[in-house]
Amino acid sequence: MRSLIKKDSSKALLFAGFIVLMLVFFMLSISLGQTSISLKATIHAFLQFDESDPNSVIVMTSRLSRALIATVVGSSLAISGALMQALTRNPLAAPDLLGINAGGLFFIVISIVFFSTESLTGYMWTAFLGAAIAGMLVFLLGSIGRDGLTPVKIVLAGAAISALFASFTQGLLIVNEQSIQSILFWMAGSVSGRSIDMLIPVLPYILGATIVALLLGRSINVLLSGDDIAKGLGQRTLLLKITMGVLVVFLAGGSVAVAGSIGFVGFLVPHIVKKLVGPDHRWVLPYCAVVGASLLLAADLAARFLIMPQEVPIGVMTAVAGAPLFVYLVRKGLKTGG
Amino acid sequence: MFKKSFWSLLVVLSIVLLAACGSNSSNGKSDSKEKTRTVESAIGSTEIKGSPKRVVTLYQGATDAAVAMGIKPVGVVESWLEAPTYKYLRDDLKDVKIVGQETQPNLEEIEKLKPDLIIASKIRHEQIFDQLKEIAPTVATETVFTFKDTVKLMGEALNQEDKSKELLTKWDDRVADFKEKAKKDIKNWPMSVSVVNFRADHARIYQTGFAGSILTELGFEGPKNVKDKKQDIITLTDKESIPQMDADVIYYFMDDQDKAVEKAYKEWTSHPLWKQLDAVKAKQVHKVDEITWNMGGGIIAANMMLDDIYDRLGIDK
Amino acid sequence: MAKTYTVRSKGGRISFQFSKRTFSILLLLTAIAFGLFIFSLSMGSRFIQPVDVLLHLIGQGEGNSFVLNTLRIPRTLLAVLVGASLAVSGLILQGLIRNPLASPDIIGITSGASFGAIMFIVFWMGTVPIAYQSLWAIAGAFAVSCLIYLLSWKKGVKPITLVLMGIGISAIMKACVTFTLVLSDTMTTTKSYIWLTGSLYGSTMKDVTAMLPWVMIILPIVMVLARTMNVKELGDDLATGLGVKVQAKRLFFLLMSVTLAGVAVAFAGGIEFVGLMAPHVARMIIGRSFIALVPASALVGSILVMLADLVARTAFLPLDVPAGVFTAAIGAPFFIYLLYQQRNR
Repeated sequence: MRSLIKKDSSKALLFAGFIVLMLVFFMLSISLGQTSISLKATIHAFLQFDESDPNSVIVMTSRLSRALIATVVGSSLAISGALMQALTRNPLAAPDLLGINAGGLFFIVISIVFFSTESLTGYMWTAFLGAAIAGMLVFLLGSIGRDGLTPVKIVLAGAAISALFASFTQGLLIVNEQSIQSILFWMAGSVSGRSIDMLIPVLPYILGATIVALLLGRSINVLLSGDDIAKGLGQRTLLLKITMGVLVVFLAGGSVAVAGSIGFVGFLVPHIVKKLVGPDHRWVLPYCAVVGASLLLAADLAARFLIMPQEVPIGVMTAVAGAPLFVYLVRKGLKTGG
Repeated sequence: MFKKSFWSLLVVLSIVLLAACGSNSSNGKSDSKEKTRTVESAIGSTEIKGSPKRVVTLYQGATDAAVAMGIKPVGVVESWLEAPTYKYLRDDLKDVKIVGQETQPNLEEIEKLKPDLIIASKIRHEQIFDQLKEIAPTVATETVFTFKDTVKLMGEALNQEDKSKELLTKWDDRVADFKEKAKKDIKNWPMSVSVVNFRADHARIYQTGFAGSILTELGFEGPKNVKDKKQDIITLTDKESIPQMDADVIYYFMDDQDKAVEKAYKEWTSHPLWKQLDAVKAKQVHKVDEITWNMGGGIIAANMMLDDIYDRLGIDK
Repeated sequence: MAKTYTVRSKGGRISFQFSKRTFSILLLLTAIAFGLFIFSLSMGSRFIQPVDVLLHLIGQGEGNSFVLNTLRIPRTLLAVLVGASLAVSGLILQGLIRNPLASPDIIGITSGASFGAIMFIVFWMGTVPIAYQSLWAIAGAFAVSCLIYLLSWKKGVKPITLVLMGIGISAIMKACVTFTLVLSDTMTTTKSYIWLTGSLYGSTMKDVTAMLPWVMIILPIVMVLARTMNVKELGDDLATGLGVKVQAKRLFFLLMSVTLAGVAVAFAGGIEFVGLMAPHVARMIIGRSFIALVPASALVGSILVMLADLVARTAFLPLDVPAGVFTAAIGAPFFIYLLYQQRNR
């Protein structure tokens, strides 16, 4: 597969560039908003936190938490997308397209409505469970028929399962009208209004999964050359595949638990990255992390300014921004494989 | 022959259709010698005979108004909270049948009660106006929270206009009284007001609607920093937007039972931006009942809301 | 062969051929549908004896006319029509895209209709007669389907492109809908949610007569053209070789599918899964012959929606729950059963 950048040194350079970009967006995310806070004030807030100074509080509570969440979620979704595309050897895989997000969301809603879960840890585990179950269902559904798991079938299976879970969620909310109002905004995808301690329970799982994913780069390359070749080279493909599945559940499920349903990131970022640096997953995965984070940070900035003082749910932002790119990619044709 | 079964199905369908169209018997057995009046409302012209006794109210405000006028409906729709009926109305609504939800009242249940008057609202029930008209004479308001229109319409429809006029005059008197006393007793009159609702994942400012319209009538002004005065609900997700809530007095309500809401409330109100709001500094932040201020939607609720306002501002009634 | 029936028109241009077995299954389905129809008409807040229902239908009944004529009959009839339309729409799509998982909701037709309907609810409800809501829904379905088709066009339309484009555009439409709902007042949100779930509440005879012509015209057309569908299922190359003008026919079938789905959704809201489930169930019972699948799917779809609506309006009395909640609830076990059944095929 032809990539835009061939030399390793250029790849490293560009990577550094993206890291810088991500940091820039991060800082912008902290200083821009309804109240403009100068860079000086921001640094001041970090170094000498003053509880009575509203700027300090804004920076350390609302702004910092949303910037952190956007970074973590953006990176997780992108990595999980890349993992899914490699796992299914299908360019059309992504957590939102294959029902993983919808499953996680549905299970969370069930736990809220029937079990009155409030703790984020509770949300997190139900999201993991939902994501896992949805993933398995899609896999099973896409495999029926003689020709096994083809790209079209898995996409349709994913869309069907997504629709199924979305329908159930909607049904639950109709019967339980008060709940609609409470979680509508979160369901649409949101990184705002959350304190940092909401991120804490999920962080170890997401960080752990990210690190493991990055380390698996080389193994994934081997896997992509074909099951037989990989086995021939001594790789334990089943173990690898299961691990990748678990990672996806943690990354996507964790994201849903914190930020609701955010689409397009998991699908688009891996494709953009692969066009830039090719199919070598030792590059693809770290790039996904950084590009994904940058993307979501940028989307969050836009979401804040469009209809001030109200906000556009970030899931809407990513859909509206991601859709044209999606259309373009589909028209151009997607290459199979890594 | 498959063809046969298809055609036979077609025939059956046609029979059913013809039968349905054919036996379109009208219900009106007009042998009553009482006066027939025509009442104009959002549904059009409605002919009502005499004084209806069996009333079905299809929205919260109408249920409230019925009780205010001393009438016990035969059927009401479920309340949003405290189902099946709000506690403040419950004693007067014993044994009243529930006919479903305000959004989708059950037409068969309504028909079962054989009412002679139905009070509906265009914004909720436009879709079933034709069906309602077939069951009983139906009148409708445009929307649900204009409680004065509701009272007036019900007075007309029920042929009890003296009672409705009385209720409305009492209201107007109270409003005038409040305005006078406010001008005298409150230093910074007219005050600006914010009606805030705390929820688990966001907060809202209610500008127009039930509470908003009453506050405007009483002479209050809207929140100081909100630019779009016409927007009925402003959704705030980030605590940065707390300055939008700024006003001389803040009335807030929330769902007490929900622990997530409690937690959110604590977070919003401990933020330094909150402490800088005028109302907070003047200690004019008051908690009110969600049901009277937002859900009841009727004249009794309105009066209770006015009581609240008198009390919180320290004015004698 | 004594096992088949053949229907031929003069000149042999139109001919159907199917087995006795198929015929008896269709007859059975029709009987079940009719039985459910009568049963539905007897159930509700007040139970009406099925015998009385039958008498009423032939004009000999007494009383119950409001409940039956104004409420139950239109509603149940609409359920039949909606179920049949969605089922056949799904069947066509599954044949076109050559995939058993295609359906109008997944491809984006429903999301276009939703967008149209929600726009109406948010901006024009109350100021414009509610009858326009259906028009907006149909317009939305067509507009979005055109968009999806045009965007997929690249010297022709490949099934997989259509699918992906549909899913993508669907996601955008849903995002726009969510955006609008999050910012609107509670009343609009509730109304919209009910519409999105799918509900037959408040159906009138007017709705039935508005929808009937579409179904009556399109279903037979689909059956007559069904032959070409069977061939197309064999794949592009073979189809072109046998002289079928692939693109044109494809477009026409797509158009019919969109119309059926659009009209169904316009009257019943975003009822989901019927288009996905019904053809499957029909296929499990009848097999692969497309010609027989059309009436079979239609019947299964009708049964599904009638059942869902029946449960929706009687299980939680006095509440009247939107039927869409139950099409998903009934659809899912079938789906899983299907998975289980087919795992070895």
